[in-house]
Amino acid sequence: MNTTSGSCPNFSMRLETASMLFHKAVDAVQQGQIPKRNLIWLELTGCAGNIISLLNGEDPDFKGLISQMVHYLYDNSLMAAEGEFAMDQLFDALDSDYILAVEGAVSTKDEGLYTIIGRWKGRPITAYEVIQTFGERAAHVIAVGTCASDGGISAARPNPAQCVGIQNLLNRKVIKLPGCPCHPDWFMGTLAYTLLFGEPELDARQRPLMFYSTLIHDLCPRRPCFDRGVFATQLGEDTCMFKLGCRGPVTRVDCPIRKWNDRVNWPIGDDGPCIGCAMFGFPDKMEPFVRFDTT
Amino acid sequence: MNDRDTFTPMIEDALQEISDIIDCLYVTPNACARNQLLNRLRKQTSHLSKLMQGFPSGENQISPQPPVTRVFTAAELSQYDGRNGNPAYVAVNGTVYDVTNIAAWGGATHFGIVAGTDATSQFAVCHAGQPVLGKLKVVGKMNG
Repeated sequence: MNTTSGSCPNFSMRLETASMLFHKAVDAVQQGQIPKRNLIWLELTGCAGNIISLLNGEDPDFKGLISQMVHYLYDNSLMAAEGEFAMDQLFDALDSDYILAVEGAVSTKDEGLYTIIGRWKGRPITAYEVIQTFGERAAHVIAVGTCASDGGISAARPNPAQCVGIQNLLNRKVIKLPGCPCHPDWFMGTLAYTLLFGEPELDARQRPLMFYSTLIHDLCPRRPCFDRGVFATQLGEDTCMFKLGCRGPVTRVDCPIRKWNDRVNWPIGDDGPCIGCAMFGFPDKMEPFVRFDTT
Repeated sequence: MNDRDTFTPMIEDALQEISDIIDCLYVTPNACARNQLLNRLRKQTSHLSKLMQGFPSGENQISPQPPVTRVFTAAELSQYDGRNGNPAYVAVNGTVYDVTNIAAWGGATHFGIVAGTDATSQFAVCHAGQPVLGKLKVVGKMNG
């Protein structure tokens, strides 16, 4: 029921996209065809789920990213430096060529005082300040995850810190990789493509088409159940979960192909409905996540 | 051969198929089989309504809408919330649509909108200019 066809080129080729791009980018860097560029990863108002997800990547993996593809200059969760020393590294990169990856939304209430990412030269640096300072100067900005892309859980009702996605504060194009969290392949593939060829082809909402071109419903292994009207009435049934409130028909991303945790499984594969975490409006507009007694 | 001669046997076939499906529904205890039969029934009624409009059946055509006769009050509409056996209806610009089996209405909800309500204002914000309503079955009008 939940296995996807290994012989379908649509599946097998798309599965290799991120890996193929990563290895091409690494080869190009090693052969001097493209420069090894700087990457700054900012963690703003969020849960650090996207960097944890990135660490879980497998072919391409995080080790390859930081050792072979880019100069990984700053990430508050992972870097060795602490406090003022870490902030020095961040601000020293301000006038260099860098690509900016951002996870987390931006708290805007009271000029952003509810998210302070560090202290520099004796004063607190808010997410609100740092995204505007670094976002406008970056060569490319990549919003990693739903919070950075659209506010996400950080901006869910009642949104006491008045969080917004980073696009709301930047007067420039932002490549958006929504997903809670962002799949490692989506980020690594997008970054590798950007290094090799520049900005990838995006849809109207600035999502890379190579990962976000199809609805989950389009490629769902349980689609035949939907077409035949065979619906689950409770969690745990291995049929279509449309009547339980599955958001696969409105969520545009390639989870059915790529799956998670080294491609082991994904929510629908474990009999849970898609909750639309990669869709704009998540979580408020994707609720209720499950609903029973639907006709 | 005129249109009437062409369509009459097709309509009779569709009616016979519908009748057979209804007979099967009475004796089918299995929910899975019943859903399949209901799906077939839906296809036949759609086919029939196209024939009655004098159009040939086509995969990509928008379903012609039958004449609207039922008028809903807000209280009546609220009963069609898509739960406990009730179909899921939603009103937009004074017209009531059936969204019971529309894929984007999982759990009879759609981007925070629940069935049984008037979604005119939300529709104007999200779908203005998009041809989405033509794909939905019209079931009535709102009063006033």
